[in-house]
Amino acid sequence: MGKLTVLVCDDDSAIVDALEIYLKQENYEVVKAYTGVQALKALSEREIHLVLLDIMMPELDGLATTIKIREEMNIPIIILSAKSEDTDKITGLNFGADDYVTKPFNPLELMARVKSQTRRYTSLGSLASKNGILKTGSLELDPEARELRVDGEPVKLTATEYGIVLFLMQNMGRVFSIDQIYEHVWNEPSYTAENTVPVHIRRIREKIEINPREPKYLKVVWGVGYKMEKL
Amino acid sequence: MDTKWKNFKYSPGAKISAFVMVWLCVMVAAGSAVFLGINHHTINSDSYYDTYQFKNQFGSLVRDAVALNVELVSEEEIRFSGDTEEEINNNIHRYYAIKGRLADTVNFAYYIENTRTGETFTNITSGDAPALIQKQPAAVYYDRWKTDYGYPFAADIAQMLADTPYEVHAAVIEPLKPGDFFYDGSISYSKTKELANHARVALISAIFIALLAFIYQVCVTGRREQGGEITLSFVDRIFADVHTILVLVAAVISLAIANSFSFSFPNEIELIVLVIIFGVDVLIGLTYILSMTRQIKSGRMTRNTLVYRLFDMCFKGKAFKPWTLLLLLGYGAVNGILFTLANETREALFIFIVLIIPFNIAVLYFTAKALTSLSEIMQAVKEISAGNLDYALDKSQVSVAFAGLAEDIQSIQGGLKKAVAEAIKGERMKTDLITNVSHDLKTPLTSVINYIDLLKKEELNNEKAREYLSVLDEKSARLKQLIEDLIEASKASSGNLAVCVEKVDLHELVMQACGEYEEKIKKAGLELHVNAGEEKTSVSADGKHMWRIVENLLSNVVKYSLPHSRVYINIAKSEPYGLLVVKNISANPLDISPEQLTERFVRGDASRTTEGSGLGLSIAQSLTRIQGGRFKIDIDGDLFKVTVEMPL
Repeated sequence: MGKLTVLVCDDDSAIVDALEIYLKQENYEVVKAYTGVQALKALSEREIHLVLLDIMMPELDGLATTIKIREEMNIPIIILSAKSEDTDKITGLNFGADDYVTKPFNPLELMARVKSQTRRYTSLGSLASKNGILKTGSLELDPEARELRVDGEPVKLTATEYGIVLFLMQNMGRVFSIDQIYEHVWNEPSYTAENTVPVHIRRIREKIEINPREPKYLKVVWGVGYKMEKL
Repeated sequence: MDTKWKNFKYSPGAKISAFVMVWLCVMVAAGSAVFLGINHHTINSDSYYDTYQFKNQFGSLVRDAVALNVELVSEEEIRFSGDTEEEINNNIHRYYAIKGRLADTVNFAYYIENTRTGETFTNITSGDAPALIQKQPAAVYYDRWKTDYGYPFAADIAQMLADTPYEVHAAVIEPLKPGDFFYDGSISYSKTKELANHARVALISAIFIALLAFIYQVCVTGRREQGGEITLSFVDRIFADVHTILVLVAAVISLAIANSFSFSFPNEIELIVLVIIFGVDVLIGLTYILSMTRQIKSGRMTRNTLVYRLFDMCFKGKAFKPWTLLLLLGYGAVNGILFTLANETREALFIFIVLIIPFNIAVLYFTAKALTSLSEIMQAVKEISAGNLDYALDKSQVSVAFAGLAEDIQSIQGGLKKAVAEAIKGERMKTDLITNVSHDLKTPLTSVINYIDLLKKEELNNEKAREYLSVLDEKSARLKQLIEDLIEASKASSGNLAVCVEKVDLHELVMQACGEYEEKIKKAGLELHVNAGEEKTSVSADGKHMWRIVENLLSNVVKYSLPHSRVYINIAKSEPYGLLVVKNISANPLDISPEQLTERFVRGDASRTTEGSGLGLSIAQSLTRIQGGRFKIDIDGDLFKVTVEMPL
């Protein structure tokens, strides 16, 4: 398969140029646009595999552009915005965006998210779902092979970490307290649990999440426990 | 000279002397007037012989002389007159009494002649008796046809001389010789005459002086200097009407005392008492007049009356409205009338049931209603003062008497509401401004961070350039953190943040947070001790905000704790709050107040060399507050203690 093409659209040309450099390093083709209108034009002219879209732009803003794109296409859209409030994120995602990254962003994290979104194209078809595989989003757990994959990439886990992930993925969407997780995974009462479970969970997040502070899969429900998000 | 006079004029000494002078002169004038009044007859007579005193004595002696020589004549004559025994005895007694009386006088002379017999009776021993008598200024002549009615007893004499041939001449012989009451009388007469002249002078001059001194007093009283302010003395503090009544009472008492004495023949003690009473009365009167003068001068006369004060209190006072008082009076009057009616008529029971009971019940009802509305208002005030600005005071429930108060309170409430709304609006605008500015800062910062990152990947064979680059990298990251904290702090403090309240187990939360911070704590060389009771401490809070609070506290602990010290986190219950206490030992001395620490951008280290935005504690405090909790910082030496209380 050839190079994937990413459309970068932001009214700040410095950001567009920087993103071009990063994306090229990651072996993507880059199409640049500076307004929503230019972005739509570029989309109509060539095949684009992913769109990076700023919200606050002249002529047509990011949200309106997202709606326009979604009318015709199903390609991944990642919104880049200086607005960091939860409501902004939710609005963006509701308008049809696949991810929402706030400025100023960490280039590595953004690249990880781009990769994660484009992997759908590359691994499409090869991911024939085998029986017994637990899956949420692009996180897969194969109990037979005792293997966890993120975006198709295997992740190395210790035995305890694997136990925790397995337990949570078997009960996807349910919240478990530290004690419950300890009792299920360690199979013993939680007198000595202390903060072992939280520490393990943090380490798991660091391995499977693009941004461990804002996890996509393994979420912290503060003051209640942890859960594996069902996506 | 002129100023000296003025100074003297208004000096207290002059005023006191004038006061004393007025008093003295009034006393003197009164004394003189009384003297002149009592002796006015003596004084008005031309000579001693004109006085009643003289005429009485003289007339009586003339009658005695006639009776002795014409009627009684001698003891034998009486005994053989053929009268009854009793009359004889009576006449003999009279005869000697008259004889004695005539012997007692040395100045009285008479000459009685029987014109038929030529027989004469006289007490004059030498010379021509009738001629001597006729020469005297006070000489009288009587016969059977002629009577001098200018003297008392003339009628008696005329009766005795009727149809008799007697001619009577009588007089006092001048110059008067000492030895009888004519002499004493004339001496005291001339003395009285002489005294009367002095008394007249004394009266006139005393009145004159008293008037002058009084006018002076009226002019200067109350003033300390020419045209100066009127200063009131302690006497003037007595209400004018009360003062007037007191003065009248004193006058009435004085009159009553004086009346109890006999005026015609006053004895010495009574006289002294009268003088004292009069003196005191003059004093009281003078004081009163001067006090009134001062008050009129100062224009406070009407205000300084009890009536005015009472009126003022009832009608202008804040506590009562005039008609409330009138209502009260009306209530009493109506009840009085009804009870009287019930008493006077036979249908007492009927009136009682039909009028009195319903009337009083109605009055009680309305009074209770008024009081209820007062308590309604008090409730509203309590609610408002407790911060419930939306408390609606139902004005239709408030009685007319308190309608004004209710309205005022509502307007205060409205004002407060407006102020609070404006403050919130202002805070919102500030938050919006901060947020917008922050967004505008973020876009260029994105480029800065990205290009620094790109630059790091370039081949830099310059050691210094790499060093500079790392500084840029660090500071741009710091800037990013600052902007994010700033937005969060402004949102949290303005309450512009959604709070999704659930049950949050504090122990679970702390364990999770410790899991997140485990590495950093280890790196800082700190030992963490978490103490939680057996029981779960679940508080009502937003888990995400709680995590931010604990995160900020832990990040503070990691940043500012003394290396290799212990950090304690206690979780406990203290109804109605769940407590989270974080204690650590500060690495640097904390010479700063707990209040200052929660202010934005304030950090424990004044030099701001360590990382951190200075917003951590401020954000934690704001987040605690918007969730209905309490946030407290205690500093005890190097011990730094934060207590977060959240509602259970």
